[in-house]
Amino acid sequence: MAQRAGGDDSEFTRRAADGGSAPSRREDARLVRGAGCFVADLLPEDCLEVVFVSSPVAHGEMGAVDVDDARRMPGVAAVWSAADLPAVPQTPPMLGITASAGRAWPALAVDRVRYVGQPVAIVLAADRYVAEDARDAVRLDISPLPVLLDPTDAAGSEVELFLGMPNVAVEKEYGDPIDPAVWRDAAVVVEGNYRQQLLAHTSMEARAILIRPEDDDGLTVWCSHQAPHRLRGDLAAALGLPEERIRVVVPDVGGAFGGKSETYPEYLAVAVAARRLGRTVRWVEDRAEALTGPPHGRGQNQRTRMAADADGRILAYELTIDADVGGYPHLGAFVPLNTSVMAAGAYQIPRVHVQTRCVVTNTAPTSPYRGAGRPEAATAIERTVDTLARRLGMDPAKLRQRNFIRPDALPYRTPTGFQYDSGDYPAALALAMRTVDYDGWRAQQAQRRRTGTGAPLGIGICSYLERSGNAWEFGSVEACPDGTYLALSGCCSTGQGHETSFPQVVASVLGVEPELIRLVEADTAIVPRGIGSYSSRSMQTGGAALHRAAGALMEQARGRAAESWAVPIEEVTYRAGTVSAGQRRVSLADLAAATGPLRADEVFEPPQAAPYGTYIAVVEVEPELGTVSVLRLVAVDDYGVVINHVIVRGQSYGSIAQGLGQALYEQVRYDPDGVPETRSLLDYLIPTLSEVPPVTLREMCTPNPNTALGAKGAGEAGCIGAPAAVINAVVDALDLDDPSAIQMPLTPFACWQARQPALAGAGR
Amino acid sequence: MTRIKLNVDGVRYDDDVEPRTLLVQHLRDRIGKVGTVVGCDTSNCGACTVLLDGVSVKSCSVLAVQADGKAVTTIEGLAEPGGALHPVQRAFHERHALQCGYCTPGMIMASVSLLADNPDPTDAEIREGLEGNLCRCTGYQNIVRAVHDAAAAMADGGGAAPPQVPAQAAPEQREVAV
Repeated sequence: MAQRAGGDDSEFTRRAADGGSAPSRREDARLVRGAGCFVADLLPEDCLEVVFVSSPVAHGEMGAVDVDDARRMPGVAAVWSAADLPAVPQTPPMLGITASAGRAWPALAVDRVRYVGQPVAIVLAADRYVAEDARDAVRLDISPLPVLLDPTDAAGSEVELFLGMPNVAVEKEYGDPIDPAVWRDAAVVVEGNYRQQLLAHTSMEARAILIRPEDDDGLTVWCSHQAPHRLRGDLAAALGLPEERIRVVVPDVGGAFGGKSETYPEYLAVAVAARRLGRTVRWVEDRAEALTGPPHGRGQNQRTRMAADADGRILAYELTIDADVGGYPHLGAFVPLNTSVMAAGAYQIPRVHVQTRCVVTNTAPTSPYRGAGRPEAATAIERTVDTLARRLGMDPAKLRQRNFIRPDALPYRTPTGFQYDSGDYPAALALAMRTVDYDGWRAQQAQRRRTGTGAPLGIGICSYLERSGNAWEFGSVEACPDGTYLALSGCCSTGQGHETSFPQVVASVLGVEPELIRLVEADTAIVPRGIGSYSSRSMQTGGAALHRAAGALMEQARGRAAESWAVPIEEVTYRAGTVSAGQRRVSLADLAAATGPLRADEVFEPPQAAPYGTYIAVVEVEPELGTVSVLRLVAVDDYGVVINHVIVRGQSYGSIAQGLGQALYEQVRYDPDGVPETRSLLDYLIPTLSEVPPVTLREMCTPNPNTALGAKGAGEAGCIGAPAAVINAVVDALDLDDPSAIQMPLTPFACWQARQPALAGAGR
Repeated sequence: MTRIKLNVDGVRYDDDVEPRTLLVQHLRDRIGKVGTVVGCDTSNCGACTVLLDGVSVKSCSVLAVQADGKAVTTIEGLAEPGGALHPVQRAFHERHALQCGYCTPGMIMASVSLLADNPDPTDAEIREGLEGNLCRCTGYQNIVRAVHDAAAAMADGGGAAPPQVPAQAAPEQREVAV
């Protein structure tokens, strides 16, 4: 059953079948004992440790790399710069993004460095301490070049980060340009400028890879990753090896959040080293490296414009994005396209136009970070809607209710070309308002303002809509002769508990106990194909593939039995792991033993889904110091059918904490020379136990109409809904006329500074 | 090199170590106690928390030589392998207080230490007591619940008390080759 938790049990407004059971997690049996196995826990004999010499300069021309002293140090196996390698592999382009053509990201820097932290040389030694000593003995000669740190500046700069190529690596447009008459004739037009700051993923386990060369010139790769088959394909392409010579195994992963779905230069350098030396080699990133990046998340400059009539009906919405993709356009160049497609949020807006530029700069390259373009979209439109409400003098909840896409208008195609599937957006807002006691807080706010007592109080709403899943996924179910079932998935758990929830899916179809089902994923030698886990896609796509595979297995068993009994298949029925016809009856285990393997493979590609919800935050801002206290945070989410409520709610809590981190604390900072200032967890502040307020979760359930399983995406919503709810609440508390006057993170200083005009104006 | 004697999870280990070797690296790389993980190197995240003579320390911020003659309890020593879980481990499982599990060894050891000092902490005391341990997955809500549950279970005598410092007398001795 769903977990009992003091005062905030789930409420299921529309309950789908089979959504409630929640066996406890199988993964925990090893993890609570310290018996989990992360990449750094593998202790192969005779393994060399890798440390990288990285660029201390954000943009520069490389001279010679002097590795002589480092090579002479006792215990050092090798030190190489790009000049020492016969060929320097480059990271392959991802997801068909052409931006990397002519801007390839090399395993080790060649000629130029483009961000602080870019690998320049690789050091190998049996002992990590020795490798670090040798790293410090490598001398670099880098002549600094002008540094570009802001995407808008970089787009307009004459400094070319890649010679002969524009700094704008991708330029895209969604929807049709809006007729100037719309802006001219509208009763109200509001504008905003919003900054999505750069974030660090900060999975507690940083990146790690271990590579063992094999006798057939192949490689076995253990990597902390989200997409093992993608990594295999990329390594094969970069190294010029056939895919089948590379086996990728992903052991336990200590969090990923989008940052472990790529193929980084370091991985290529480690592979080159393992092959050249014929030795097992590992690289375990340290925290300073992880915070310096890559990857970073977010990083957008946004301009918004919204027109409405006098009754608050939104007529047009325009979003312009300059996205920071860092020193090399990689998977981060995909993220703003996600923002663009879902720009219009949950609203029926007749005209939507988005212009997006992905711009190279001298920050570390960006990647998807939990939410991956969705929080950026939600924050832009939700801040703009609140600005519109202020301008109209209308309650922001009422303005939203007026403009939501109505349930009977679904499915709905936006002017940017994304089809929303199902849901009830007004109901989500109404439930959130009831849960938080919206009217009560508004009354208290009015009273505080009237009497001039108490800290400024604000209420902020974010009605988000996301875009979950993409592409196909592989799922397979086999009935084994010993009475168990083997499920294979192309997904890759990084803490989401697939070992528990995927067997639940299969068991529910087969009508057997989940304990009989064993899941294997994240090993390319066993799982023939797959995509991985990101974009909230595991259950929506991978779970749906397993759901279908289990169904196909039942059909296969019926067919096999019909054949061996020589009866029409219609006479064979399946029930709870057995097939029968008349008096004849056989278990799938015996059937497989008698007639050969029973296994169904499925590749399933459902359309993207549109989970949605409403978050409401109530905050106080301490007037003298600017400190924000989140008094209440209510999250209403509709993830479609939920398979394991305990796991999904756990992810909601975690995702919300990360959203609060973006809203209030987190920011990767660079000095003017492009040197990162946030190099430890003393400088880069993720929320601790003391900062995360109690959160109230409420759930709705509108099944995904495009899969039999009915699950939509889960896991990213908190990052999407929480930031805009908090920032809207703070703007409301401070009663700011210019919403652009305050940007995330809402540090005490940022709030105090934004508060100054209000203080002066109020004469307080 | 300096000779140190450690009792780790009830077993004595005598090793020669470099003075600069951190306790966590010694535990992991030399003794093979990889259940204790490294999260940050700067004592901010607490993933490497162990008990040193019964008191929680961040083992990335202790030199191995500083632990000479002392007893270390790691997550691997909290319950017998395959045996019953410690109440804190059980509560973390039952309350879904872990997801990826990377911070979990340190979070559990810090909780054991907290409950040894304060057997019945309030919400605020738990949050303050564990704020030196970072988790990026759970949002902490279920961790607070788990610590409450563990406190109740331990008060009921439902499980072992926090692990005692292993006796120094005659543990199995293992020499580790340098």
